[in-house]
Amino acid sequence: MKILETTNLAKTYRTPFRRKKVEALRGVSFEVGKGEVFGFLGPNGAGKTTTIRCLMGLCTITSGSAIILGQPVPSREARQRVGFLPEQPYFYDYLTVTELLDLGGRLFGLGAAERARRGGELAEKVGLGHARNLPLKKFSKGMLQRAGLAMALVNDPELVVLDEPMSGLDPVGRKEVRDLILELRDAGKTVFFSSHILSDVEQVSDRVAIVVGGTIRDVGRPRELVGASRLATEVVLHLGGDEAANAAAREAIALRADKVRGVEGEVLAVLGAGADVDDFLAFARGHGGKVVSVTPRHETLEDLFLRRVEAGKTERRAETVAS
Amino acid sequence: MMGRIWAIALNTFREAARIRVLYGILVLVVGANLLAIVLGEMSIHEQARVARDIGLASISFVGSMTAIFLGVFLLYGEVQRRTIYSIVTRPIARWEFVCGKYLGMVLVLTVLAALFSVAMVALLAWQGVGLTAALGKAVLLAWFEVVTVAAIAVFFSSFSSPFLSGIFALALFVIGRVTPDLRSAAATADAAWIRTVARGTLEIVPDLHLFAISGRAVDGQTVSVHGDFVAWSYVASAAGHGLLWIGALLILACVIFQRRDFV
Repeated sequence: MKILETTNLAKTYRTPFRRKKVEALRGVSFEVGKGEVFGFLGPNGAGKTTTIRCLMGLCTITSGSAIILGQPVPSREARQRVGFLPEQPYFYDYLTVTELLDLGGRLFGLGAAERARRGGELAEKVGLGHARNLPLKKFSKGMLQRAGLAMALVNDPELVVLDEPMSGLDPVGRKEVRDLILELRDAGKTVFFSSHILSDVEQVSDRVAIVVGGTIRDVGRPRELVGASRLATEVVLHLGGDEAANAAAREAIALRADKVRGVEGEVLAVLGAGADVDDFLAFARGHGGKVVSVTPRHETLEDLFLRRVEAGKTERRAETVAS
Repeated sequence: MMGRIWAIALNTFREAARIRVLYGILVLVVGANLLAIVLGEMSIHEQARVARDIGLASISFVGSMTAIFLGVFLLYGEVQRRTIYSIVTRPIARWEFVCGKYLGMVLVLTVLAALFSVAMVALLAWQGVGLTAALGKAVLLAWFEVVTVAAIAVFFSSFSSPFLSGIFALALFVIGRVTPDLRSAAATADAAWIRTVARGTLEIVPDLHLFAISGRAVDGQTVSVHGDFVAWSYVASAAGHGLLWIGALLILACVIFQRRDFV
């Protein structure tokens, strides 16, 4: 079942006076299924936040369409069932967490008892139970992010949209957000989040989309996207001979490997994708090397991401030249 | 719907209270009353007249200036601080948000008018002067003027910066107060273009003079809060004028706000 679907979503801004067109989105299409954690990956300025703003009704859509929970965007009915955390959330800093969550609950039409119960539960859940009566202006960036997460969950949403939820958090905070995302998935929620932190996306996403230059470059499961093919094999060898013997062995190994690095008796040999690893290991042992480790290196999401970003830059340069 | 509008209104009122706007108003109330006492003592047996004049002028002028100051930041500030992202992405229509913000500001301005009124009545009681219906009508008219000025400021705030909104709103406040002069110019000015401009201006500016008529002529008779004042039917008619302008300005503000991209 599709929870979120965009078809050729496009957004063009016009600068106020020169009326110059800025194409922020150029036909973004993807789907998010029920119960999925969907990572929306892209470099700064790729169109992640614009896509989310269009989905949440903060911006009008220039062309194309978006459907959330069966309702065309913008739809108040859909927003009733969606939780949203904006990028770098800004709240009324004179409010306390309790008051902020109460305001959120009122906007969703929750009764007073329900608002109090949800507010208390959520403040504890995001680790702000101790600070629930402090004004937000006294909060650190990480605490504000947690307050924003609590606000996003106040209506017990079916779909949670998080714009850069790990931004500005320390490693502990990032792990807590990742855990929270997984917890939401376990509770049957659908999570759509944007990030440019690859490791975070890779760790929690069932599927990802890579957006560069306002267009989707890839959509799929991270493992499917990067493929199973081996890019290289890294072999660490220990050479136990004297200085002259080690230098000779190192020289011989260098002839059979793509790259060799290391000092004194420890050598790292990098073999190409098509290399015969067994043959190389036998050769290395024959020259007095002891195998410490053998690590196949596959393409990572980072490799794919960087390749797409580079391709995007090339396209943009070509467009600039053409125009 | 009302629950959401009320939630926004309550939050707007809370903001004014937390950023010490109400304390500022309290200081002005005390200042106005001290001025009324001093000027009253300087006058000859006219303490009550001075107290009433300063009290009503304070509600009208301080109220209108507060309305402009708060109003020009009301919507612009929400967009600029990006606090609006956390609000309009909830199941609330943008027009509900605009109305809620305006209602919250009306609450603040009502507290302001109430504080000034209570202080004025207390001063009059201290001088041994009782309450009159005329004073009640004058306070009500001043309050309608203030909330109309607030709607003007909110309208400009829906698309303009606080600085420009402030200038526009202040200009409309001043022009709205001199509508009798404009009417006179529209009828008797020698130059045709002056008559045209005056007539055009009268069409697009709320007649704020309707709310401050003490000491002026109404239907050929001079009315005064210290003596013969207008009837309740006049108050209702002026209130109707104000409400129509408030409605029109808020509808325009809602339409403009509805079309805005928040980036």
